[in-house]
Amino acid sequence: MFSWLHIAMPPAPALFAQLLVGLINGSFYALLSLGLAIIFGLLNIINFAHGAQYMMGAFCAWFLLDWWGIGYWPALVIAPFAVGAVGIAIERLLLRRLAGLDHLYGLLLTFGLALVIEGLFRQRYGSSGLPYTIPAELIGGKNLGFMFLPVYRGWVVVFSLTVCLATWFVIERTRLGALLRAATENATLVQAFGIDVPRLVTLTYGAGVALAALAGVLAAPIYQVSPLMGANIIIVVFAVVVIGGMGSILGAIVSGFALGLIEGLTKVFYPEASNTIIFVIMALVLLVKPAGLFGRAA
Amino acid sequence: MPDLLAVDGLHAWYGESHVLHGVDFVVRQGELATLLGRNGAGKTTTLRAIMGIAGRRRGSVRFAGAELIGLPSNRIARMGVGYCPEERGVFASLSVEENLLLPPPVRPGGLSLDEIYTIFPNLLDRRRSQGTKLSGGEQQMLAIARILRTGATLLLLDEPTEGLAPVIVQQIGAVLRSLKERGFTMLLVEQNFRFAATVADRHYIVEHGRVIDAIDNAALAANEAKLHDYLGV
Amino acid sequence: MNGRFAAVLPAALLAAALLVAGGAGAQSPDAVRIGVLADMSSLYADLGGPGSTVAVQMAVDDFGGSVLGKKIEVVSADHQNKPDVASSIARQWFDEKGVQMITDLTTSSVALAVQEVARADNKVILVNGAASSDLTGKACAPTSVHWTYDTVSLANGTGAAVVKAGGDSWFFITADYAFGHALERDTTAVVEANGGKVLGAVNVPLNTADFSSFLLQAQQSKAKIIGLANAGGDAINSIKQAAEFGIVAGGQKLAGLLVFVSDVHSLGLQTAQGLQLTEAFYWDQDDKTRAWSKRFFDKTHKEPTMVQAGNYSATMHYLEAVKAAGSLDSAAVIKELKSKPIDDFIIRNGHIHDDGSLVHDMYLYEVKKPTESTAEWDLYKLIATIPGDQAFKRPRGNECPAVKG
Ligand SMILES: Nc1ncnc2c1ncn2[C@@H]1O[C@H](COP(=O)(O)OP(=O)(O)OP(=O)(O)O)[C@@H](O)[C@H]1O
Ligand SMILES: [Mg+2]
Repeated sequence: MFSWLHIAMPPAPALFAQLLVGLINGSFYALLSLGLAIIFGLLNIINFAHGAQYMMGAFCAWFLLDWWGIGYWPALVIAPFAVGAVGIAIERLLLRRLAGLDHLYGLLLTFGLALVIEGLFRQRYGSSGLPYTIPAELIGGKNLGFMFLPVYRGWVVVFSLTVCLATWFVIERTRLGALLRAATENATLVQAFGIDVPRLVTLTYGAGVALAALAGVLAAPIYQVSPLMGANIIIVVFAVVVIGGMGSILGAIVSGFALGLIEGLTKVFYPEASNTIIFVIMALVLLVKPAGLFGRAA
Repeated sequence: MPDLLAVDGLHAWYGESHVLHGVDFVVRQGELATLLGRNGAGKTTTLRAIMGIAGRRRGSVRFAGAELIGLPSNRIARMGVGYCPEERGVFASLSVEENLLLPPPVRPGGLSLDEIYTIFPNLLDRRRSQGTKLSGGEQQMLAIARILRTGATLLLLDEPTEGLAPVIVQQIGAVLRSLKERGFTMLLVEQNFRFAATVADRHYIVEHGRVIDAIDNAALAANEAKLHDYLGV
Repeated sequence: MNGRFAAVLPAALLAAALLVAGGAGAQSPDAVRIGVLADMSSLYADLGGPGSTVAVQMAVDDFGGSVLGKKIEVVSADHQNKPDVASSIARQWFDEKGVQMITDLTTSSVALAVQEVARADNKVILVNGAASSDLTGKACAPTSVHWTYDTVSLANGTGAAVVKAGGDSWFFITADYAFGHALERDTTAVVEANGGKVLGAVNVPLNTADFSSFLLQAQQSKAKIIGLANAGGDAINSIKQAAEFGIVAGGQKLAGLLVFVSDVHSLGLQTAQGLQLTEAFYWDQDDKTRAWSKRFFDKTHKEPTMVQAGNYSATMHYLEAVKAAGSLDSAAVIKELKSKPIDDFIIRNGHIHDDGSLVHDMYLYEVKKPTESTAEWDLYKLIATIPGDQAFKRPRGNECPAVKG
């Protein structure tokens, strides 16, 4: 009896605002699924620890500020390197031992790691999270006419898009990218050409993890820096990667942004379904194109 | 001429299955030697074992005086060994030129890109195409071409003529001869001994994971009957 | 490979869930067991969670550790905000583990489910973390007491105060489950009873990270007040993002209908200042609350929320009632509880009604400005004390069969 759901079409400017907000969320999906796709491509590992590593990126920014007074801008550089280094250690010490085994082992190991890391952070910092303020340069907002756009959110979209395009460029258009693509196809042969593939694998994992941490730093001022932030988003991001096609770089980027938009529209027309819509789409895509929209069939 | 490659008592396993049972042979500096043998004799495995990419291995592989057993394949490549696999290994997600440029230069003295395009004009025309969109012959050219750039002095070539039309086989023969003139040392795996005879200095016969005979190319005609027996042709 | 992945994921998650739920520890055969069933790991873990177990253990220790000659044991488990998980744990506790009473029960959907298990097993539950007034309304049960606060008292506190201050048009951002719906419904009743009107609402799935889309909808409604019918991590994220989107600067006001001291501490005063909220307990009320909270702080490094303090109060009164009744029998214990006023340093001027609601004084607080605060946890200033009869009065009457008509 208390139902005020607007089923009616919202006015165009309102819709525009919602699309923009969807794009902002899509930025996080794109950055995170990009890292996952890179890791899956070369290591053949479904990196379930990706959410925990995103969370560690946000915490790293918080530690830098709280312990040493190092602000947002340096954190944007330091945190990815620091968390990436942790990723490198994980690859060297643990993941390397799984090389050549079924995906399942990597999934279980990284899932276990995520539980441990998130549990430790929750034990120490609780679940409600820690505040991290927006850097002074990006405080405030612009009235776009159809909406009030916080400057920081605008920055998130522009920056993520830049990082995604730069990553795409590196992988598709440079020699390093050619090495990565070749090693994804046939690592043994690439190594027989004189490339230190194990090191390439380690660095690639580190880079994927660094991307997650970068997304974490970007998220810190918007969401609370919370031990749970990664667990909440990672399942959605996995769906995004599956929709885009496991291991497809372009697929990860495009479907990240696109699903942000679709989720945004769902929040207007049927908000109750906003956290399930992506899984519905995933199921549909898997039915029609099992390899994902941009995936190459095995 | 000194031995560039000396293989001595080489054993190799794929998992539990013991495939090479003590392979012995040498390849001299500047010569083109072949490994001939029936299907499944262990020719490919020998090349892979030299390259350090066949499962477990034991014995000795000395290249330019250095022991290769125990080194990872990337270090072996960096010492100057170039490998052209039986399945060609052209990368689908790389363009022709990216495929060509993929193996890093390991020492000075490799061919320049221009020289390579002069030898393989087809590759120049198709350099922007996806690697696996090339014809079989072109893909074979590409697989050979990309190890010429690196400065490798020993080339391991696994059945470069397999499944190719006679004209293409002739072209490849010409390429191999010109490479020999340039001073490359080559170890060639072949099934087609008539083709092998047109390019090689010496042949080793592989059977059941061992080298059971060595025949100089000059003596090939005299040993034809024996060869037929070995190869079952 | 995708199919494989999809098949493995639920199995892995289930395994993890069972691992967490299993941890009840070793038990001695003849003991009085109290179960703390809480959100131990997700968005409500800081307002109840492990801190609730600490508070219940403090009550047991303060009581002397034994009752009716039996040792008192505290067991705890994570219900993960899932009613089915909670029901099966409660059933197992009552039927197999000899648990006599379950407390905390944060999350209304969980509390409603466990209340049905308790009704069937004729066992006592003392609800501290859940808010839905349906627990003592249409779903009321004879052996349940809703201890600390409910959606009616929150509506009568924050809701009424906001309307009286001129906030007469509302838009709700509502957590899409039993709690959010009850809070929206009860607040709507109070708003309308005070002459205000509700312009719209949006139902948001539990545990949402990004509220910007919903905040924009609230903004476009042009309502003077955006009522947050959510809690814990959801309330924190909506308040934080409302600041970012210039909601308050644009002339609208936020009404956090259920905001805990842990939320305010987490948000920081810069963001939370000026927010009005209703609490049953605040650590800095007087010497007694400060003394008890200090003991709690020494164990947890946090000041207690009203949920955690309520768990202490409920456990203490339960044990005293068991002692006075000389029995663990649920009906006898509940009769004993209802026979006397409930009045300690946590719950003031209280008595338990026949519908199971514990009617007691509530407090309207305002979050201090950063300049007004003198310490890390110095967060609130008192605006008004709301007497129990006023705080728990249902504008539309009660559907509980025990009291209806
Ligand atoms: N990856 C592998 N795992 C297990 N056994 C293998 C593997 N590769 C080859 N073998 C076996 O090792 C033996 C030698 O194979 P190898 O490929 O070296 O033969 P080959 O002489 O190159 O034959 P061909 O002329 O058909 O290419 C064969 O019996 C083959 O079945
Ligand atoms: Mg072979």
